[in-house]
Amino acid sequence: MGRIPLSYLANRLLTLVLTVFIAATLIWLIPRFPCFSWVQVLFQGLTCVDPADAALGRMAAGGGSVADSDAILAQLRTTYGLDQSYFTQYWLYLANTLRLDFGLSTASFPTSVATMIGYALPWTLGLMLISLVITFFVGNLLGALMVWERTPRLWKAAIPAAMVFTSIPPILSGLLLMYVFSTQLRWFPLSGPYALTVEPGWTFDFASSVLYHGVLPAMSIVVVTFGFWALGMRGLMITVQGEDYTTLAKAKGLRPRYILYRYMIRNAILPQITSFALKIGLLVAGQVLVERIFAYPGMGKLLYDSILTQDYPVIQGVSFVIIMMTALSVFLVDLIYPFIDPRIRHGG
Amino acid sequence: MPTSKNRLLTSVSIAAAALILGSAGAVLAQDVAREDTVILDLDRTIQDPENFNWMTDGTGVRRMQGAHQGMWEPLFVLGADGSVEPWLATGIESNETFDVWTLSLREGVTWSDGEAFNADDVVFSVDMILQTAELNAREVAQLRSEVASVERVDDLTVRFTLKKPNPRFVSDNLAIRVFGAFTPVPEHIWSQAENPATFTFNPPVGTGPYTLTSIATNRAIWDRNDNWWGAATGFIDLPEPLRLIVLETGGEEARAQLMAANQLDAAQTVTLGTFEAIQARNPEVEAFAPGLPYSWADPCPRQLEFNTTVAPWDSAEMRRAIAHIIDRTQIVNIAYEGTTSPSRTMFVQYPAMEAFISAVVDAGYGLPATADVAAGQALIEAQGWTRNGDYYERDGETLDMAIHVNSASTEYTRTIDVIVEQLQRAGIDARAVPVENGVFWGEVLPFGNYEVSYSWLSCASVNEPWASMGRYTSASVVPVGERAPGFNNTGRWNTEATAAYTEIVNAMGVMPLGDPAIPGMVAEAYQYLAAEMPFIPLVQAAKLLPVNTTYWEGWPTTDNPYNSPAFWRGDTHRILHNLTRAQ
Amino acid sequence: MNQTTEKSAAAPETAAPDMAGLSRAQLRRMRRFDNPWRNPKLILGATLLLSIIALGLLGRLFWDVDMVFTGSGLPRQGPVGVENLRGQVGTWAHPLGTDVTGKDILALLIIGAPNSLYVGVLASLIGMSLGIFLGFTAGYTGGRVDDVIRVGSDVMITIPPLLILVVVQAAYGDITLTMMAILIACFVWQSPTRLIRAQVLSMRESGYVQMARLSGASSGHIMFREMLPNLVPYLFGSFIANVTTSIVTAVGLEVLGLGPQRVPTLGRVIYDAINSGALIQNLWWWWGIPTALLAVMFIGLLLINLGLDEVSNPRLRRL
Repeated sequence: MGRIPLSYLANRLLTLVLTVFIAATLIWLIPRFPCFSWVQVLFQGLTCVDPADAALGRMAAGGGSVADSDAILAQLRTTYGLDQSYFTQYWLYLANTLRLDFGLSTASFPTSVATMIGYALPWTLGLMLISLVITFFVGNLLGALMVWERTPRLWKAAIPAAMVFTSIPPILSGLLLMYVFSTQLRWFPLSGPYALTVEPGWTFDFASSVLYHGVLPAMSIVVVTFGFWALGMRGLMITVQGEDYTTLAKAKGLRPRYILYRYMIRNAILPQITSFALKIGLLVAGQVLVERIFAYPGMGKLLYDSILTQDYPVIQGVSFVIIMMTALSVFLVDLIYPFIDPRIRHGG
Repeated sequence: MPTSKNRLLTSVSIAAAALILGSAGAVLAQDVAREDTVILDLDRTIQDPENFNWMTDGTGVRRMQGAHQGMWEPLFVLGADGSVEPWLATGIESNETFDVWTLSLREGVTWSDGEAFNADDVVFSVDMILQTAELNAREVAQLRSEVASVERVDDLTVRFTLKKPNPRFVSDNLAIRVFGAFTPVPEHIWSQAENPATFTFNPPVGTGPYTLTSIATNRAIWDRNDNWWGAATGFIDLPEPLRLIVLETGGEEARAQLMAANQLDAAQTVTLGTFEAIQARNPEVEAFAPGLPYSWADPCPRQLEFNTTVAPWDSAEMRRAIAHIIDRTQIVNIAYEGTTSPSRTMFVQYPAMEAFISAVVDAGYGLPATADVAAGQALIEAQGWTRNGDYYERDGETLDMAIHVNSASTEYTRTIDVIVEQLQRAGIDARAVPVENGVFWGEVLPFGNYEVSYSWLSCASVNEPWASMGRYTSASVVPVGERAPGFNNTGRWNTEATAAYTEIVNAMGVMPLGDPAIPGMVAEAYQYLAAEMPFIPLVQAAKLLPVNTTYWEGWPTTDNPYNSPAFWRGDTHRILHNLTRAQ
Repeated sequence: MNQTTEKSAAAPETAAPDMAGLSRAQLRRMRRFDNPWRNPKLILGATLLLSIIALGLLGRLFWDVDMVFTGSGLPRQGPVGVENLRGQVGTWAHPLGTDVTGKDILALLIIGAPNSLYVGVLASLIGMSLGIFLGFTAGYTGGRVDDVIRVGSDVMITIPPLLILVVVQAAYGDITLTMMAILIACFVWQSPTRLIRAQVLSMRESGYVQMARLSGASSGHIMFREMLPNLVPYLFGSFIANVTTSIVTAVGLEVLGLGPQRVPTLGRVIYDAINSGALIQNLWWWWGIPTALLAVMFIGLLLINLGLDEVSNPRLRRL
């Protein structure tokens, strides 16, 4: 488990930088794509949405009309830098994004997007960590049991059946859990991140309230995602099962459960750890609607709200932060990987 | 197995909770019983809870999170009968030409920090608005577009000088009419602000009976200030609720469940089926009306808008034909399930508007509640179209119609589904074009980028006819592709009839409110709308707002409509003062 | 990881299958497995998927699919014999009931279910073709081209498709099913590319490819005539996995209200149900039946995937 060679590090870093750059560019480009004149000529019928127009439109949508609209529009254009060329806008955007400055929200002017993300991010991280860890353990264990020859028949039949849940969109599992456990059984609260009158702070009341309120949202994600892990693990286990060391271990007459843990799961789980990092982005995406129905104030809900209000700076900011999180965790896992997998040595 | 699993769960959860806990904060000062708390629904997130600068509030959430229901008070409130009730003010007088207005303030009003509220605060606030273009809330923009200057006369008197005469200055600016109104801010705090546009006004200070206790992105808690000036001066008694909570619920399903479980006292609009289901679970839940339509009409009636520059809808006969084909009763029954009523004119059917509505109806320009498809088809055929199979054709061209509709609400799309069906049966190949909210309001409507659109652009009038009628004058006509000023006359209606209409409406615009000649002039101007149909009024807008009487009684109802039931508006003060604890 | 080892210990201890002696039934099954493609999981999975296609085809013949429009029947009618909150009992006019605007659920399913499958299959087909092409090119050509493709797929695999699609949808509003499939396809080519690249790299050195090269076959011939057939089981498994991913992504978008606005899809039906208080109104047929159909689709795909594994990996064919 020696040091990480420089070439490997440089390679991974390049991938990280490229990922962030391409993602940032895509996010910037997509909404503006129909606004370029050559696109207008090539693809008829695409509507170019000017963020300033949309902001003004949203004000009008609240009351039907806006007085003095030209002055306000000019003001908005300056604030959002729309009076500059696309090229300048793009460079400014890249420079600001690097400093995690995503500009000002159009729907909640003049709040900065970074502030809004600051409010939302801890909630998402918390919910995500809980659900990700639970699904990872449950899913992998079930996946391993699907392959192990000593798993009882009943379990072997039950595990694929449980995977039916994987087909449910997370919002439905959320609604179902809410229906069963909140409204019918009344075991868990209906919505919100913590009890109404508990004040956020470093108190036991607050912490327990947060945990209690987090159970259903986390479970809604767990029941629909563990199947992915289980399937992945199953495939890996099949491979490991055929390896010589497993056969050898069996021949040695080691206890079957010992073989399962020491020889099979331990080796099969390694690639799953890479997926663990990759899953983060997907998970946040799945979390969007769960957060919405439970009124859970995380990134998913922020994204959903900003879609509804066409708040491009926020949509861009949230997407970028999630992609950044995914890319960073992939990078970190790549770095850690050699230390946990003895079969891989760098620079060989 | 269970124990080790639980241990794992717990340790992971604690780690996660440690992440979640942001800055340390104080525990709430006291616990208030549920029976003393009133909980209102919020249909959006408080994206920037630390910001209380309403003057840059584009979406309204910086006021409807409880601030303008409990903490800030309006100068005037508009009654459903059209009367103006003074609140922080005691009255307002204008000169004969309606361009100089003298406002009198109530004596003894204090800010919650103990400072007196007086003319200096009003003058400071208005001056700041006039000088700071970055302040861009709708109400601020409105005031800036009308007021030329403001001056202090004495401690309790302020004089406004307008850019041009406006008899509706109070209802346009100073009174709660549709959502909010100009609300003065305390000079002693705001004068410290370096830049009024980025000032967050935190902690917020108001004159109202509630002060802020705690706020997060999902809820705001306001507690009663027992030293409120209103009780001290004998203006009104303190409201009964000790605590006001405004809570984000997250969608129809969640708000229905919370309502059924008594965790909410007033909810945002739900559909009829959901309301019935809530009632089945919780019989204490009621609505504005005791039976169908249950709902309250918001001030923005729905209508179809034609782009009058696009053939074949540039022909008044064709537009009238469509008006004949549309069956309003069917829209009410299918799209709204009976929770609203057909529009008789372009106006919202409030008591204060009745004089104008009946003037129009008496003059024979009222709209029928049902369709006369044959009459509509006759008009189409007179234009040279002949029916060939399913659809009308002329010169080998099928009669079709694309209706742009905002996809943000199922109410809109459902209504359009019904209309499309009606037009299809009558031989017009109509189809809906659903568009995102931002595109609809940002690109489609103002630039006239549509053939026909479903909207509510007559919205404005609630106690006088001009605000709505003034939106269709020839003054607002610009070519398609340019921005229609103030979202007015987006259909570019510009004919000789428009000119005649504009003349009458302009004359009406400088007459005092309540002038006995106005209803007659409304009817006279309306003949041009009826003849040319630049837009077709459809139905009244319905909001079915469930309220819970388990803890609180005295919500506005059709029997006692002392206020609108719209608890997100600035006139909710009157509701809070009227609530009594249920025993 | 140690925690995993501890906690799962208890359960599977009890009944290890009895391996002693083969019964007659097992022998019969063994014979059946002579042809690996006659795998029961594969057949059952394919049957489930075919039944959804059949629902779409036969439904259009035998049912009035114009009832997907608003006001086709009374609102909130239950399936046959089921009473709704208003006490009305469902009839054969709408065997699966109606939604709150009177749309016929059966008609919605007939149109919507094949649409969801269509998006999944099309997106996966495009993604696979892209993946095969890039994977072969990278693995066979090597060098610069390989570097670019490898880094490109590394980068694209990190970007969550739903996020980018949300940005696309927010910008463009209404899109068609095909457009949605093409957009999803932009995010499902990475894993087949990686997979095929790795396989091609190892096969390039194998005997039969070397032989072909010696006998002067062109690169195209070697790639598509010699190597491709050997990759078929991998490709097929990867294809099915991608169909699943694509459907999940598409349904995710639709449930957010971001899918096609005018075409009924299962996700759209669920979106409408959620936004209209279907749970509290106890309209279980409105959200439950489309969910069940999605479940059928996914079970079908899952079974096919499991079956394919058994076909390509005989060790898994249990007796």
